[in-house]
Amino acid sequence: MKRGITETLANESTARKASSITLEGVEKSFSRDAIALDGVDLTIKAGEFFTLLGPSGCGKTTLLRILAGLDTPNAGVVSIGGVDVTAVPPHKRSVNTVFQSYALFPHLSVEDNIGFGLKMQGVDKAERTRRVREMAEFIKLSPLLSRRIHQLSGGQRQRIALARALVCEPDVLLLDEPLSALDAGLRGELQVELQRIQRRLGMTFVFVTHDQQEAMVMSDRIAVLNDGKIQQLDTPRAVFERPANAFVARFMGHSNLLEIKRRGADRLDTAIGPLTLPAEGEHMNDGDLVLIRPETIELGDDALGQPNRFDATVVESFYRGSHFEYRLQVEDVALTAFSSNQGQKLFAADDRVPISISPSDLMTVRGEGG
Amino acid sequence: MTSPSLKRSLACLWWVLMAFLYLPLAVVVLFSFNSINSSALFESFSLRWYERLWGNEQIMASLGHSLVLAIISSVIAVVIGTLMGYGLYRYRARRLGWLIVLIYLPIVMPDIVFGISNMTFFVRLSSLTGWLSPGLGTMVLSHVTFQIPFVALIAYSRFLGLDATLFDAAKDLYASPFDRARHFIVPSIKPALVSAFFLSFTLSIDDFVISFFTAGPESSTLPIYIWGAIRKGVTPEINAIASLMIAAVAVAAVISLAFTRSKGSDASR
Repeated sequence: MKRGITETLANESTARKASSITLEGVEKSFSRDAIALDGVDLTIKAGEFFTLLGPSGCGKTTLLRILAGLDTPNAGVVSIGGVDVTAVPPHKRSVNTVFQSYALFPHLSVEDNIGFGLKMQGVDKAERTRRVREMAEFIKLSPLLSRRIHQLSGGQRQRIALARALVCEPDVLLLDEPLSALDAGLRGELQVELQRIQRRLGMTFVFVTHDQQEAMVMSDRIAVLNDGKIQQLDTPRAVFERPANAFVARFMGHSNLLEIKRRGADRLDTAIGPLTLPAEGEHMNDGDLVLIRPETIELGDDALGQPNRFDATVVESFYRGSHFEYRLQVEDVALTAFSSNQGQKLFAADDRVPISISPSDLMTVRGEGG
Repeated sequence: MTSPSLKRSLACLWWVLMAFLYLPLAVVVLFSFNSINSSALFESFSLRWYERLWGNEQIMASLGHSLVLAIISSVIAVVIGTLMGYGLYRYRARRLGWLIVLIYLPIVMPDIVFGISNMTFFVRLSSLTGWLSPGLGTMVLSHVTFQIPFVALIAYSRFLGLDATLFDAAKDLYASPFDRARHFIVPSIKPALVSAFFLSFTLSIDDFVISFFTAGPESSTLPIYIWGAIRKGVTPEINAIASLMIAAVAVAAVISLAFTRSKGSDASR
C-alpha cells in the first residue's frame, strides 16, 4: 500500500522511497544536423532537486522528454532507480511531468484532471476521490475542484498541473519550465513553494529552466547545458562562483571576460593592463580567459591603495535599489560592476572613478573553444 | 467607412438573396398545407396530404430506406473518417499534405460521375462474383465513400485545435493507447463527432444522384420516390414529403452547427 501524501507529511521519520536517475552516453538527434543531445552522462541522486539549465535549443527539454519516455534516445541507457527504462513506454514509467503549457484536459473538471493518472492506474473511485481531495487540500485548491479548466487563472492551472502529477506519487517528478508563463511575483512565491514541497515529500525533482536566478534559488545541483552537452554540473554556488568555462560564466550573468595576452608567474597581461594573481596561483591552459565578477570590483575610495587598481570612465549608471550597476570603460574595454547600496554616491556618466580588483577574486576560465 | 445609402442597398441585397433562397421553400411548405389539389390557389389550411402520406406504403417504405441508409452510413463514416482524421493529424509532420487532395477529390467530384462509376463497379463485381448486387448494401457503401472526406476534415481540424502536449500528458499519466482513445481522444473531439454525424446524415438524406445509380429495385429512397412521382406532376403529397425533409435536414444542420460552435468556444482556451 502506498501511503497518502498527508500521511507521508505527518510521519516524516519514514520518508517515502525516492529514485536516482542515471544517464549513460545518451544521444538524440532529430535530423542529421539537428543534434539535441551529444553523449550525455549524468547521475541524479535520489531525493534531489536537480535543475537542467540552459538557453533555448540546448537540449534540456529533449533530455526531460527522454526521462519521461516521450522521446527515445538514438543511443545510450536511461536508468531510474537502478532499472534500465530506455525502452519502457511513458505510460509504464513511474515518472510524471508538469508541462510548460500545463496540458490540462479541457473536457474534464479540475477534480477529474487531478484524478486522471490514478484512474488510468486502475485506482478505484473511492480511493481516488480521497487522494485527490487530500492533494487539493495540500496544494490549497480545494474550492476549485468542481470548476472547468477554462475558468481558471494561469497560477491556478499551474497548481493543478502540479497536483495532477504529484498525486500519482511518482518516483521522479519532471518540471518543464512550469513557472515561465507566470508573472514575477507569483513566480517567486511558487519557486519557494515548489522547493518546500520537494523537501517535504523527499521526491526526486528534475526541473528545466532557462532562468539562472530560478535555478540557483531552487536547486540542490544544477547541470548547465549547451549544444547538447553538459558544460558544468555542480551546486548553485559552485556554478555561479567557479564557472567551468566562458559559456557558463556568461550564462550565469558574468559579463567581464578578458583575453590573456601574455602570462607570467604571478601576473597576466590583459587588455585593461597587468593583473596580479593570488599567491597560490591559478592552473591555466592556452585560450583561458580572466573572469572578473561584477560584484567583486571595488569603486571609488575603496579602490585607492589596493592592488590591481585602474582608472575607469563611467559610461552608464543604473540605480537598482539594493545595488548600483555601472557600465565602465577601462582603456577600450567595457566592464560591468555592481556595488551594493550603502548610501554612497551614485556616480554619473563621464565620471572618472578608480577601481580595483582583489587578486583573490580573480579566476581564469576555459575559453569557448576549450 | 460606408455611407448610409450603401449600407441600405447592401441590406436590400441581403433580403433579395434571402427571398431567392427561401421563398421557393416557403411556397412548397405553404402548399403542403393546402386543402385542395392545386399548386396555384391556396384555399384553406389542412393536414390531409400528410394523412395521405401516412397511408401510402410506398412512401413509408422509401422513408424507412432513407433513414436506415442515412443512419448506418453516417455511423460507419464517422468511425472511419475519424480514424482517417486522426491519421492525418498524427502523421502531419511527414509531408502528407498531398493526401489531402485524395480526400478532397470525392468532395469536388460531380455526383453523376461518382454515381455512374460506383454503379459500373458494383454491377461488374456482382456479375463476376455474385457479391453486392444493387440494393441498400451498395448504397451504404457509396454514401460512406462520399461522407468520409467531410468527417475526416472535421475531425482533423478539431485535432489541430487541441494542444499537442495533451497527447503527451495522457501518455505521461499512465494511459495505454486504448485508454488514450477512450478517455482522452474521443471525449476531446466528441462535439466534432456529433457535428460530423449530423452533417453526414444530412448529406445522405439529401442525396439523389448517387443513390439513384446505386439503388436496387427494392431500395428506393425518398428522393428517388419523389423523382419518380414528380413525372406525373407535382402533387400536394410531394409538397408534404418535401416539407418533412426540409424540417429533418434543418434540424440535423442546426444540431451539426451547434456542436461545431461549441467546439470552437472550447478550443479557444
